Amino acid sequence: MDLFNNLIFGFGVAFSLQNLMYCMIGVSVGTLIGVLPGIGPLATIAMLLPLTFNVAPVGALIMLAGIYYGAQYGGSTTAILVNLPGETSAVVTCIDGHQMARQGRAGPALAIAAIGSFIAGTFGTLLIAVAGPPLAEMALKFGAPEYFSLMLMGLVAAAVLAQGDMIKSLAMVAMGLLLGIVGTDVNTGVQRFSFGITELSDGIGFIVVAVGVFAVGEIVANLGDPAERRFFTDKVKGLMPTWVDFKASIGPIIRGTAIGSFFGVLPGTGPAIASFSSYMVEKKIAKDPSRFGKGAIEGVAGPESANNADAQCKFIPMLTLGLPASGVMALMLGALTIQGIQPGPEVMTSRPELFWGLIASMWIGNALLVVLNLPMIGLWVKLLKVPYRLLFPAIMAFSAIGIYSVNNSSFEIYLTAIFGVIGFIWIKLGCSPAPMLLGFVLGPMMEEHLRRAMLMSKGNASVFFTRPISLGFIIATIAILAIIVLPAVRSRRSEIAG
Amino acid sequence: MPRMRSLLLTAAALLALTAPLAAQSDYPNRPVRLIIPFPPGGSNDVVGRMVATHLGEKLGKQMVVDNRGGAGGTVGTELVFNAPPDGYTLGVVSIAHAVNPWLYKLPYDPRKLAPVGLMATGTNVLVIHPSLPVRSVKELIALAKQKPGELQYASAGIGSFQHLGTELFKLEAGVNILHVPFRGGGPSMNDVLGGHTKIMMSSLVQTTPHIKSGRLIALATGGKKRSPILPDVPTVAEAGVPTYEALNWWGIVAPAGTPQAIIDKVNTALSQVQELPEVQKQFDLQGASVQKMTAADFGKFVLAEMSRWERVVKEAGITAQ
Repeated sequence: MDLFNNLIFGFGVAFSLQNLMYCMIGVSVGTLIGVLPGIGPLATIAMLLPLTFNVAPVGALIMLAGIYYGAQYGGSTTAILVNLPGETSAVVTCIDGHQMARQGRAGPALAIAAIGSFIAGTFGTLLIAVAGPPLAEMALKFGAPEYFSLMLMGLVAAAVLAQGDMIKSLAMVAMGLLLGIVGTDVNTGVQRFSFGITELSDGIGFIVVAVGVFAVGEIVANLGDPAERRFFTDKVKGLMPTWVDFKASIGPIIRGTAIGSFFGVLPGTGPAIASFSSYMVEKKIAKDPSRFGKGAIEGVAGPESANNADAQCKFIPMLTLGLPASGVMALMLGALTIQGIQPGPEVMTSRPELFWGLIASMWIGNALLVVLNLPMIGLWVKLLKVPYRLLFPAIMAFSAIGIYSVNNSSFEIYLTAIFGVIGFIWIKLGCSPAPMLLGFVLGPMMEEHLRRAMLMSKGNASVFFTRPISLGFIIATIAILAIIVLPAVRSRRSEIAG
Repeated sequence: MPRMRSLLLTAAALLALTAPLAAQSDYPNRPVRLIIPFPPGGSNDVVGRMVATHLGEKLGKQMVVDNRGGAGGTVGTELVFNAPPDGYTLGVVSIAHAVNPWLYKLPYDPRKLAPVGLMATGTNVLVIHPSLPVRSVKELIALAKQKPGELQYASAGIGSFQHLGTELFKLEAGVNILHVPFRGGGPSMNDVLGGHTKIMMSSLVQTTPHIKSGRLIALATGGKKRSPILPDVPTVAEAGVPTYEALNWWGIVAPAGTPQAIIDKVNTALSQVQELPEVQKQFDLQGASVQKMTAADFGKFVLAEMSRWERVVKEAGITAQ
């Protein structure tokens, strides 16, 4: 009953007027920056950090946390409405979410994203409360070989992402791998494909590629096709999901939550992997995978739940071990330190009001976000009726502002424009950008972990098979390969036989 | 574009020639930009923002922080270098500033930047995972000599202070420990806590919680004196490598040619800021301590740091680019 008492205690802390206010401010700011591409929670929290010096630690942490998970909600809004990923994690939502919007189903897409996020957030919060410390211990067992095997599994599973032409999909994955290589090599410090341009020495930003290919490319393609120009038609069919939508979404939400929680606990995985994985799982198990990419609600429900569960569970290593799983978490640790609190395992016992208060506030914050977001849907959908000659320049302007704000660099705006052109060419060639982005995300991480594993094992590849967790992933990878390859072989056989 | 830029530069230079006469007495009469050559969130950012807030108050005009990360801090420092020398653009520099000249081909001459003052210095701690069967620097050296190249240490990446601090240790102690670079301080710390790599030299603020919880063991600290936060931990010099000293530090520089009167004014304001109890407390919490220096002394300090790390980069054969 300890847990129950602790949670009650936590809600007591979080429900104080002051802390409710901080929670409200946090999630509102978070939603706002989530909607804007580029400017993310990291920069926002860094800038707001000095303001929190004079706030009580609990309030400060509640507010900063609110900004972080609030951004995950906001990020999906523009992804669905105008194909503009507001946050890295919302890229996958573009694929089917925006297609839904084009079919006049922006309302249901936004609503399912909010509801899925709420369910995932609730579960993630509960997970922190129930199993935080043991999960964090488990995550520590992940070294370079484990991460490599996990990502290998992800890349093999990505074959599922392939839409239509297998060759085109593989080419796009390879393209992503190549783009991901740009920048300074971690192991040797050598610059690759940076052509002496200083701005490229840290690699190409994910958000630059995503905004360029998805938002800019899409707009250019739409302008080139007069029939498509009125794509945000007035054929809006209802704001809320139907019963059928709910039934189709509940499975993806549950699976997405589980997938997101798994990746959330592991510090070495970025924000996009959880949502990509969820999308791949949904597509693989769907009765009719061809609906994906054409406005399948499962393709919104799953990834949106996954990225919120991931965001919530990233708190586990931070709160229980004092380990930063991401840049944002490092900032939160910094905020605690500045408040005179030594982050680490003792926080749970020495400052229970902080630990349990934060957990309770996350649940309240998630509820607030749903309450904030659901009534907004009507407003958002009305935005789609803005004529394209106003809407398109506005999207471009907001993209440019957002991209600039990441590094205060105009170079990245030019780079986004270039990716816009490339994205347009890909649309014309019928190449789907999703596999490219997956390669872009997974490729550099895989390479890094592979080479680190080999460096540490002195070139002995057996590390991948002798370490149990890594071996588990390798076996799973082979199983996935079998699932993908066997049906194809069988159907060919029956063709021959017939 | 280049033409436009050169025109602007000329205009700026002309302004700079005439402006100082009027500007020095009433400096600053508009907000001052402080370029931090790293993205938000790191130690440079935390230290820089903290000082910027108070420094702005002392100078009577707001100090605006401008994060210009990229290429190990060289992108932002180049901006400072090319800014008009009127005191309205200042830059934060750190140990990376003394390392970069030996790692990269720089588009600017780092020695030409005008020193303004030192903000603070920070202590590094040599930590190990408990599964490594040593409990002192001497035992670590003995083990490393017994198994050359087999022990491994983690760092935040090529050219990071974690990397160079440990390379200096290897040189001074005459041992061979394999470098395993990571992408940033967080991931490397995770790996050491998991016991995958077992040795790391990192900042006090990053290591202290784990030392206190027993997940890491502190063998020594890198400064001249023991750290008040870990009074029982000897310095590397005390523990058996007498010539070793490596500190983190953060300071402020200005473009070459910035009038001395302005530099002195900022330096005076900075030392007032350093005396504020809340600033000292904040630095303490970051595992750093304020240290005052005149602009001239800071200039000598930077040059000394540059030659220290030049030796390490060259002798350890570290290359980037």
